[in-house]
Amino acid sequence: MYDHNLAKSVVENDVKFQCEGVNVYYGESHAIKDVNVDLLDKTVTAFIGPSGCGKSTFLRCLNRMNDTIDICRVTGGMKLDGEDIYDRKVDPVQLRARVGMVFQKPNPFPKSIYDNVAYGPRIHGLTSKKSELDEIVESSLRKAAIWNEVKDRLHAPGTGLSGGQQQRLCIARAIATSPEVLLMDEPCSALDPIATAQVEELIDELRESFSVVIVTHSMQQAARVSQKTAFFHLGVMVEYDETTKIFTNPTDQRTQDYITGRFG
Amino acid sequence: MGNMDNGPHIVSAFDEELMGIRAKLAEMGGLAEQMLSDAIEGVERRDIALCEQVIGRDRRLDRLEQETEEQVIRLIALRAPVASDLRLLVASMKMSTTLERVGDLSKSIARRGLDLSRDKPLPITASIARMGREAQRQLSEALDAFVSRDVEAAIAVWRRDVEIDALYNAVFRELITYMMEDPRTITLGSHGLFIAKNLERIGDHATHLAELTYYVAEGEPLTEERPRGPRGYGDGGTSSPAPQTDAGPDAGAESED
Repeated sequence: MYDHNLAKSVVENDVKFQCEGVNVYYGESHAIKDVNVDLLDKTVTAFIGPSGCGKSTFLRCLNRMNDTIDICRVTGGMKLDGEDIYDRKVDPVQLRARVGMVFQKPNPFPKSIYDNVAYGPRIHGLTSKKSELDEIVESSLRKAAIWNEVKDRLHAPGTGLSGGQQQRLCIARAIATSPEVLLMDEPCSALDPIATAQVEELIDELRESFSVVIVTHSMQQAARVSQKTAFFHLGVMVEYDETTKIFTNPTDQRTQDYITGRFG
Repeated sequence: MGNMDNGPHIVSAFDEELMGIRAKLAEMGGLAEQMLSDAIEGVERRDIALCEQVIGRDRRLDRLEQETEEQVIRLIALRAPVASDLRLLVASMKMSTTLERVGDLSKSIARRGLDLSRDKPLPITASIARMGREAQRQLSEALDAFVSRDVEAAIAVWRRDVEIDALYNAVFRELITYMMEDPRTITLGSHGLFIAKNLERIGDHATHLAELTYYVAEGEPLTEERPRGPRGYGDGGTSSPAPQTDAGPDAGAESED
């Protein structure tokens, strides 16, 4: 009951994302305030916090999704493997192949299951041969734990799958380009408990090869899947620590109040 | 994280359930204290009725322990508590077990009190009673520290256990001396030894309660080295025939009942 080291320690993992003094503004409003954090490789990091606390905003900075919002301005340093992702030389499209994303609602393209997964490898020119592409599609679907359910109907529309299957299809699509980091914005909020468990199992497997950053409203989910947890409140990263520490003995009173359900 | 003032939960039923568990623990604490003080008084005053009362009250304590455990398990299953709530619940479960054991030890003292009362007076009853009052004080201060989340008071209890240990060593030597002088006192003396050992164990349980209070408040174990009295039972007295290991008078002390 006392040993915080029982959980597999990840402290010795390399830093994947180094964020320093990150500030985000939407027009006049200051959404993220001076966030400093090192996200680790081969580690699941969970962002938790009440609605509007900036956790999704911060997540979206990591693959420059916020570029698409005109009034959004990001300052500070965000380095992926030591390289500033906001440098003018960086192509956001290439960046997003390295830093994939899965959204809250499953959003398969209105195409076949096969084409959903093949889309990324095709536009990034990752393969030249049909057989290679077939392989990528199959291995991605396998990693996303949906292969057995769809292997007989790869050319059926992706939108015809159930919600949980669609979400796993989107995860297969996200990992088809072999990203280094996978961002997940509440990937299970539209799923039932079984599909949620499947996605959580998947997240744990993905950790072998990628760094995963997940935003979740479910504190239990954060506790279950992550090794590191960051708590955001009012645009500030209040606390960032080992997940076990956060859920047994948080340092900050605000974290304590939030996770024990005492806010408000 | 120190003494945090935790406000109410958004889900008020959770607070009510936590209150319910605290109430159970308070009742258990009160009962255990009462049983201990009555057992000591029963031994001291050779009061058979009082000793029998103590023995009868143990059942209530057992039932409270079971109820507390059920409630804690229910809360863990239904509310998925974390952080301070989780620590409180885990500590509550351990506390109820500890208090139940204090009750068992008190009951065992009362049983021996019955035997002692039917025999001729044991010459060192006063020393045992003094030790009993020290154990009582430790128990009640450990319980107060828990209720008021007073970390300093808990640490004080934790440090003071060495005093009971010293008293135990003294009682032990005294009884051994009597028994050596007059083998006819061996039966009585053995009862006295077990009573003293039980009181010493109650002191340890009070220390454990203090550790739990510290854990609930601080989120970390109390890891400092606890002060210890001299090893062995003779306070360094080389002429003492006391056993050199803990195995001697300990054996069987906990397994009775």
